[in-house]
Amino acid sequence: MDAASLGFWTVPLAMLGGALRVSPPFLFVSLGECITEKSGRVNLGLEGTLVMGAMAGFGAAHHSGSPWLGVLAAGTVGAVFGLVHAWLCSLRRVHDVAVGIALMVFGTGLAFFLGKPLIKPTAPQLPALDLGAWSDAPALRAALRINVLFLIGVALAFAIRETFRRTRIGLVLRTAGESADAARALGYDANRVRAVATIAGGFLAGVGGSFLSLYYPGSWNEGLSSGQGLMAVALVIFARWDPVRCLYASLLFGGAGALGPALQSLGITTGYYLFGAAPYVLTLAIMIATSSAERTLAGMPAELGAAR
Amino acid sequence: MSATKPPRLEVRGLGKRFGSFVALDDVSLDVAPGTVHALLGENGAGKSTLVKSIMGYHRADEGHVRLGEREIVPKSPREAQELGIGMVYQHFTLVPNMTVAENLVLSRPRLPFFLDWPKEHRDLAAFMSETPFQVDLASPVRSLAAGEKQKLEILKQLYLKSSIIILDEPTSVLTPAEADEVLGLLHEMAQRGQVSLIIITHKFREVTAFADEVTVLRRGRRVGGGTVKDLTPAAMAEMMMGAAAPQSVRPARSNAPARAEIRLETQKLSANDDFGLPALSEVSIGVRSGEIVGIAAVAGNGQEELVEVLAGQRQKASGRVVVRGIDYRATRKESRLHKVRCLPEDPLRNACVPPMSVAENMSFRKFDEPPFALASLAISPRAMARSAEKLIADYRVKTPSSLTPIASLSGGNVQRAVLARELDGDVQVLIAANPCMGLDFAAVAEIHDRIRKARDAGTAILLVSADLDEIFALADRVLVMSEGKVVHETTPAAADLRVIGQCMAGQAEHG
Amino acid sequence: MNRRAVRAIEKVAIPSGALALSLVIFGVFVALAGADPFEVYYEMFRGGFGTWFSFQNTLQRSAPLMLTALCAVIPAHLGLIVIGGEGALLLGGLAAVIAGRAMGDSSPMVASGAVVLAGALAGGGWIAFSGALRAFRGVNETISSLLLNYIAIALFNHWVEGALRDPTSLNKPSTRPIGDAAAIGNLPGMDVHWGLAFGLVACVLAYFLIMRSVHGFAARMIGGNARAAALSGIDVTRLTVALCFAAGAAAGIAGAIEVGAVHHTANATLIAGYGYTGVLVAFLARQHPLAVIPISLLLGGINASGGLLQRTFHLPDATVKVLQGILFIVILASETVYGRFDLRRPRKVASPVPAATDAEADHPVKGAA
Repeated sequence: MDAASLGFWTVPLAMLGGALRVSPPFLFVSLGECITEKSGRVNLGLEGTLVMGAMAGFGAAHHSGSPWLGVLAAGTVGAVFGLVHAWLCSLRRVHDVAVGIALMVFGTGLAFFLGKPLIKPTAPQLPALDLGAWSDAPALRAALRINVLFLIGVALAFAIRETFRRTRIGLVLRTAGESADAARALGYDANRVRAVATIAGGFLAGVGGSFLSLYYPGSWNEGLSSGQGLMAVALVIFARWDPVRCLYASLLFGGAGALGPALQSLGITTGYYLFGAAPYVLTLAIMIATSSAERTLAGMPAELGAAR
Repeated sequence: MSATKPPRLEVRGLGKRFGSFVALDDVSLDVAPGTVHALLGENGAGKSTLVKSIMGYHRADEGHVRLGEREIVPKSPREAQELGIGMVYQHFTLVPNMTVAENLVLSRPRLPFFLDWPKEHRDLAAFMSETPFQVDLASPVRSLAAGEKQKLEILKQLYLKSSIIILDEPTSVLTPAEADEVLGLLHEMAQRGQVSLIIITHKFREVTAFADEVTVLRRGRRVGGGTVKDLTPAAMAEMMMGAAAPQSVRPARSNAPARAEIRLETQKLSANDDFGLPALSEVSIGVRSGEIVGIAAVAGNGQEELVEVLAGQRQKASGRVVVRGIDYRATRKESRLHKVRCLPEDPLRNACVPPMSVAENMSFRKFDEPPFALASLAISPRAMARSAEKLIADYRVKTPSSLTPIASLSGGNVQRAVLARELDGDVQVLIAANPCMGLDFAAVAEIHDRIRKARDAGTAILLVSADLDEIFALADRVLVMSEGKVVHETTPAAADLRVIGQCMAGQAEHG
Repeated sequence: MNRRAVRAIEKVAIPSGALALSLVIFGVFVALAGADPFEVYYEMFRGGFGTWFSFQNTLQRSAPLMLTALCAVIPAHLGLIVIGGEGALLLGGLAAVIAGRAMGDSSPMVASGAVVLAGALAGGGWIAFSGALRAFRGVNETISSLLLNYIAIALFNHWVEGALRDPTSLNKPSTRPIGDAAAIGNLPGMDVHWGLAFGLVACVLAYFLIMRSVHGFAARMIGGNARAAALSGIDVTRLTVALCFAAGAAAGIAGAIEVGAVHHTANATLIAGYGYTGVLVAFLARQHPLAVIPISLLLGGINASGGLLQRTFHLPDATVKVLQGILFIVILASETVYGRFDLRRPRKVASPVPAATDAEADHPVKGAA
């Protein structure tokens, strides 16, 4: 169709559009995980939080008629999951990675359980801005239809970086991630700082889930998430615990995820599943390239030894 | 900088018990305004307990502390800080991934919500210009040298307007030159009446050069002290060691090692540190049978990496390690064949599996050979326990049973258990790194004795130590390492302390 | 009461208490969903263990759980958290189909042996890759094994719907079936296939490997402190890769058995979450290979009763997943209770004098300022 008019540019454009459309869940979950990890704790359960957020957001939007109430509900549910994670981790001898796996199992199970009645209904969708309205090329216009939530995420990435640098909260959070003792010396209990960071991280992951059910793909079903929550954890490592680099990494991953559908739109269907695996392969390749058995990763919060 | 003089600190009759152990017994001391007070004593003499009681970590059972006119009972270091008493710890308390400016601002008791960094930098620069210590504000702390970190720790206390600063072995990680600089500057500040200082140390040289008053502790009691001018190092040493002070005469060498075979050799050995940066560069060392080669170096000059490579805990970057003429990669087969053993520092972290039992930990060298392994396949817990019980008795390891997790033993007993395991049987090569760090006097003497016995039996020993006294007490040859290279070689008899100090500081004649 | 007796009681009482608490929380859930919790409990028991027929069903479902649980248990003793059982199972199943078709005319013994072996090799190689990434490159094994699950699903779909597809399978793309010779039969006198025997034997072997063999001892050294293991000359890399291979082989065999004994073909029904449930089993069993057996039976029973709950109470099929999640969380939280039944304070070991002087020498508060 319009493949002819733009020729060679079809695939990159589709990938750009795909990246902008697919990346927000990555962005929100990775920003959430970034906050949590900066405080010295890993939450592997954000996959469960993401799915819960998608379900809760869809349900709330369906019943209230407002997509933004859905986003809020998703964030709130995510924060509650963060609270549960933080509480479990504060118990003696309970391992944060194991708790994350447990919450992943519980979160997805609970979302499917509670979300059963939500598979058929529809909910109001989040608004998008037509930034490509000036162009005549429909492919470009489609690519530049940008969701408001994505723009909020971009602003958040910069805001979180500045918060880390320039505010008391940010400094205390980073101190807790570097040394629990140093945080204690400042008069802050590292456990409590991490609890707050995990709750905030859960909120953002929940919001990321609501994007799935309220914009793209824009409905609720059990196959909605395909591990974005997990990839986001790897993405934070790739981004070296920097929120703005999380943004760039999310776009990169979104683009990789859009590769399969973009090729399919050109009629290339062989290896569809393999192209679908591109984001996972990319994540793994990046982890292999950036890790080292000998060196500590630069920028890694020191209390995060187990997360390597 | 506050113009007012620091208040007088008076400690009267302080006592502290831990269970039936008396850590501190009726100790008194005075710190006059603007003076440097040295606290001298062996490890375990009660120095730490004393200052921790002042700082509010411990609650003293008896006695009291007065600051100026009023009695103080700080319940936490934070409260002590608010009273103007600060402490600089032996271990750095800085956050390595943050900048110098961030570390200083973080130490402030009340932070504003928004930090105006340009203004903070201006304020910090103004503050720093009034002190003798200068550190680059924008550098991340991890990139600072040890001396700069120590300066930053002190700056932090000055920034918090502490008028009485307690320094716990402030020079243990510094080169002699760095130590002189830091202590000299502090001394000047005290003379100007800006601060009073309590310095915990066991180095006489620092006491005589920089302290006004001294208090000597032994086994929790004040055994002497007074004005430094009136005391000689010999007198202080006698107070510290008590009547039974060991003679500084070294036991005679049994046999001259000059012609003995070279058992352990490194040839142009290089290795990188945890951040992938070169830490050890082309080091060539040979250790003969029946010889102790001591390596003196300030922490962080490549000796840790050297030990790790020899112990099999780190990959070398280039060069060779040769044991008895054959390439050595620290595999289990090779270490068993050549009987290479290792006493790393901090044994619980480096040489033990904390949740495993004492018996299991003592079997690490031999669990896979008969009689400990049946048909080289199945382990025999019974054989392990039996052999461990013998070693526990021989090395007087205090443990409830051989089945107790090793993590619940005290540091000295963990050390003994590892020593028993590593020295068990016929040892050809021994690599020891700070084998006595943090141990009390009796344990140190015993471990030194065992190391000498091994040497006399023909073991080739490479001893890395941060403690020059230990090197001089044990080594037959002394090598000095700085910035990953061997920069000086001498013997204890011919050693010139000043030259060694310069070499450790990296100001050496190379060769 | 002496310490050892307290420990033994703890080992039974705490998991039982956690199981009971999980059932109570789950009861509240189903009550909120409009079902009578006591009827639900009764039906679950009946559906999982109540009759010989349902118990055989449970046994059959527990077999793959034992094997996928080992995929997490074995690396756990190396200090690794591997959750790649799902991917290893799928590739094991895929390899089993290929082997089964290739062995078309061989004797049943050889053909079914080849099916199991192919599964073991594929699954083993998959998890060994994750272990090798950890050992050689320091890549976090939890995340890499999870990513490998998604990659395995993609590979599985690619082949099942591509090169290996049976053109006659229209609604549900499947591979061509394996031959009769390669099929795995039932245990004598039972309606349960040989997979159960594989599961039981694998758990017992894993027990001897980890708890009784020199390799297991070395592995536990690595898991407890890799630096100390390296100091003793243990080849950390080789042992890590080898034991990860063994772990993956167990999960791969699970896939081969699902193919060889149940489906005789590979299709999407193989993606049933056995790998993830196996991780749950491993944690519930506190990583003990023998405890895996009863816990697998329990979860096999819960899974078996899932369909019954759906039909009888009209509860969503995710109900079983919710119970699994609750169990997982409660069991993890119960870790903190161990050691608290000891009424005496934990004793400070050794005589007080050196203990106190040692304590004096190093700072109780490292790095406070």
